[in-house]
Amino acid sequence: MAAPAPTLSPATRLGQAERADTLALRNARLSPGEIIVVRIRRSDGTESAGRLQEFAVPYQKWMRVLDALNWIAENAATDLAYRWFCGSKMCGTCAVRMNGREVLACWEAVEPEMTIEPLRNLPVVRDLVVDRSRYETKVAGFEPWLRRADTYPGFPEPLSHKQMKNASKALDCISCMCCYSACPVIGLGDLTDFAGPAPLVQLGQTALDPRNDQQKVAGALAQTGIFNCVSCYKCEEVCPAGIPIVSQIIEPLKAKTAVLVPAMARHALALRAIVATRGRVDPGALVLRVQGLGALARLRRILRLLVRGKISPLRTFFAFKTAAAAPARRILGRVPP
Amino acid sequence: MSIRTISTDVAIIGGGAAGCYAALCLHREGIAPLIVCKGLVGKSGASLFAGNLVISGKLLGNTDEEASNTAEFLIKYHNQFLIDQRWARRCGEWIERVYYPELEEAGLYFRRDDAGNVVTSPGKIRSVAANVQGNSGVPFMDLRRKQVIRAGIPRLEETVATALLRNADGAVAGVFCLDVLTGDYIVVEAKAVIMATGYSDRLHKRSTGTREMSADGIALAWRAGAALVNMEMQWWHTNDIAHPPSWQRMQVYPNPMLGSEKSARMVNSAGEEFFNQQEDDPLAFGPYTVQLKALAKQVHAGKARYDGGYFAGFDNCDADEVDRYTTYGKVYRQLGLEFPNTLVETAVTSHYRQGGIDVDTATMRSAVPGLYVAGGVGGHSNGLIALATFDGKVVADGIVADFPAATAKPPAPSEIEFERRRLDDLRGSAGHGPAPVAVKEILRDIMWDKAGVEKDARGLEQALEDLSRIRSDLLPEMRLSNTGLRANYEWLDAIDVANMVDVCELIVQSSLERKESRGPFFRTDFPDTDNRDWLVANVMTKSGNGVKFERRAYDLPFFAPDFERKANLEVAW
Repeated sequence: MAAPAPTLSPATRLGQAERADTLALRNARLSPGEIIVVRIRRSDGTESAGRLQEFAVPYQKWMRVLDALNWIAENAATDLAYRWFCGSKMCGTCAVRMNGREVLACWEAVEPEMTIEPLRNLPVVRDLVVDRSRYETKVAGFEPWLRRADTYPGFPEPLSHKQMKNASKALDCISCMCCYSACPVIGLGDLTDFAGPAPLVQLGQTALDPRNDQQKVAGALAQTGIFNCVSCYKCEEVCPAGIPIVSQIIEPLKAKTAVLVPAMARHALALRAIVATRGRVDPGALVLRVQGLGALARLRRILRLLVRGKISPLRTFFAFKTAAAAPARRILGRVPP
Repeated sequence: MSIRTISTDVAIIGGGAAGCYAALCLHREGIAPLIVCKGLVGKSGASLFAGNLVISGKLLGNTDEEASNTAEFLIKYHNQFLIDQRWARRCGEWIERVYYPELEEAGLYFRRDDAGNVVTSPGKIRSVAANVQGNSGVPFMDLRRKQVIRAGIPRLEETVATALLRNADGAVAGVFCLDVLTGDYIVVEAKAVIMATGYSDRLHKRSTGTREMSADGIALAWRAGAALVNMEMQWWHTNDIAHPPSWQRMQVYPNPMLGSEKSARMVNSAGEEFFNQQEDDPLAFGPYTVQLKALAKQVHAGKARYDGGYFAGFDNCDADEVDRYTTYGKVYRQLGLEFPNTLVETAVTSHYRQGGIDVDTATMRSAVPGLYVAGGVGGHSNGLIALATFDGKVVADGIVADFPAATAKPPAPSEIEFERRRLDDLRGSAGHGPAPVAVKEILRDIMWDKAGVEKDARGLEQALEDLSRIRSDLLPEMRLSNTGLRANYEWLDAIDVANMVDVCELIVQSSLERKESRGPFFRTDFPDTDNRDWLVANVMTKSGNGVKFERRAYDLPFFAPDFERKANLEVAW
């Protein structure tokens, strides 16, 4: 008999209780037979935006967005193209945007009026079906499989849940692409080389697994563009699997990148070092350390920064410190880069 | 329209546990596999639904008694003795020796506690979970998907196999496919074809079958000349969520919970508890049939219906013990119900088909040369993800042994042409009748009403008449509103419907043939379990335009029932 694990944290319980109110309300505001208005963006994948088609759908008890789509496909638009397989939050193929928010159709309660659109950041095949191959290619390129540093000792191998804590969160991923659609950096297209939250969660499954050969993760991390992540938490907000994508996947991956591929983390490491020594953010020092002396040649930009008070050469060159330097060093010393 | 041709050594139809493992084993042997998957490899089908993983043999400190219990459970409760017990033993040994170590070595995370112990469920039969109980199939199949990608095994995804293609010798030598997203036809030429389309077929109004399921594997194999077995043996889930409809695949798992002495309970409309696995039948590890029998008694007493009016949940547990290792609270919380104090209304759902294509369990050959079977679509055992995986290994071994002698004759051009025309015609369907999706719903209603949980000869005969009317009146009159090629799911529905009608008929005929009740197969006109005459494989083969039945006895080397005849509702299993 296994020793009992610690129970869920009080904060998680508090969150559950708060959400319960909202969810209870969302599931109780309509009665069976009431008509809901559903507008679906339909396209053949070649038009730019497609057009919205409106349907009146009778509410059924505890109706999900997927039930509304199924009702429409059976009764009103038999050629509606939408993807789903399991209907129970496992296959992760039915994600759409409902009233501008990414949701898993099988999981989310319907709204009295809702506009359903395909996910963003992936090409539309037809109506609500998107082409997932961009994501698939990225993930395959990471070669996200376990490569052991040591020989496998036989079942069951020594391993604790504490060691697997972050990787185990990543294993809840159903690759539904909600986060990929919600990510504003992915929305910038080719302006950055950011891999996006969903591929990073997939990478995290093995990269954050203590059994994996850490050196072999470096090659994958080098392809992530991970420091383009702006930590806006949009991905976490929409994740139907409740994965703490930023705090327990992307942040630990960034830390790993700083160690294994330090060249990618120049900006982050410089910022950290400056805060640790000076107890404040010093933009001037940051620019110099990241871009080198070459930055001084961009006179117009430097002037602009000076005028707006963004940089202060005197404070930078005399390494002005605040009282926060000592505590900052103490705190940062506790967490590895 | 042009047809793309791809050649491979072995074509595998299905991207679940059996198909993926067969592909990986063949690849290891230097034989080139190709997976055709109607959905997405590792993301569609039934394998995702594996809640937890059963421990066999002496794994993780299992005692002799626990090892024997697991075998007894599989043979008795899971298959009602309609199983090759020697195959089951081979499978159990392989699970102990190869399956668990291989999965863990590849990276599957068997849930530990903070002290590093693998967490198990207590009781007479023990199980473990991959990461979280209730969700084990997700990381399991995600691992398989990545292993397939890593091996460079080609996949045709969101591509439906519509026909098995035979060559001049009558052997299966290829598969006709439609890429659903592009509308392209693809012919896969292969020296052998493995049918691995899974356990479920979504032929009833309420079904755990996923969206893409329409009994394709059985229909294709039957048309190519394969024999079928025990098609009437349909497994049912007894407490799946009653509302909303999409959640009919979501179960209030009655199995023992990891790290807890308790499990879910079921309560009738009068608030009386009528099933709790831990108290009522601890040997019934996946107690679905035991639950179904308990429910039938409630239905007969007017205290529940098969489509609802009874409730299930964890109000006998603390939230902590449910949440620690399981996903079971997710349904309640998403509905805003107080957990674990609230029960939720549940209903019966058709789940796995125990029967399927008849196979030689030593090699997984079907009766048709070139056609092999792996996993749930076979009629040799009822489902567990470990069994399906074992089949993947056995079929690969069978093909490796046969491979040197495999013919390389390509499929007959006439077969390809026939199928191309059939699909073109379906896309052009312009009758005055309903859309294909509506015909699907009609079929599912008929099966639910007349070939549902409780059946009798009269209802089954009516079902046959209804099905024959659909075949003559509705199928030729189907109408598609869109004849485009891209992601035309209406066209796919039309292809599905033809398979569904055929297989529904075979199931009803097979149900009429078995004149007893056994496990989850309830005949109200033959309520007894009859081990003297019906502890047999109910084998059906084509005979002219009709079917022919034959009974084949099972060997009972390890476990045998202890009665000859008894009312099925009084039999524990």
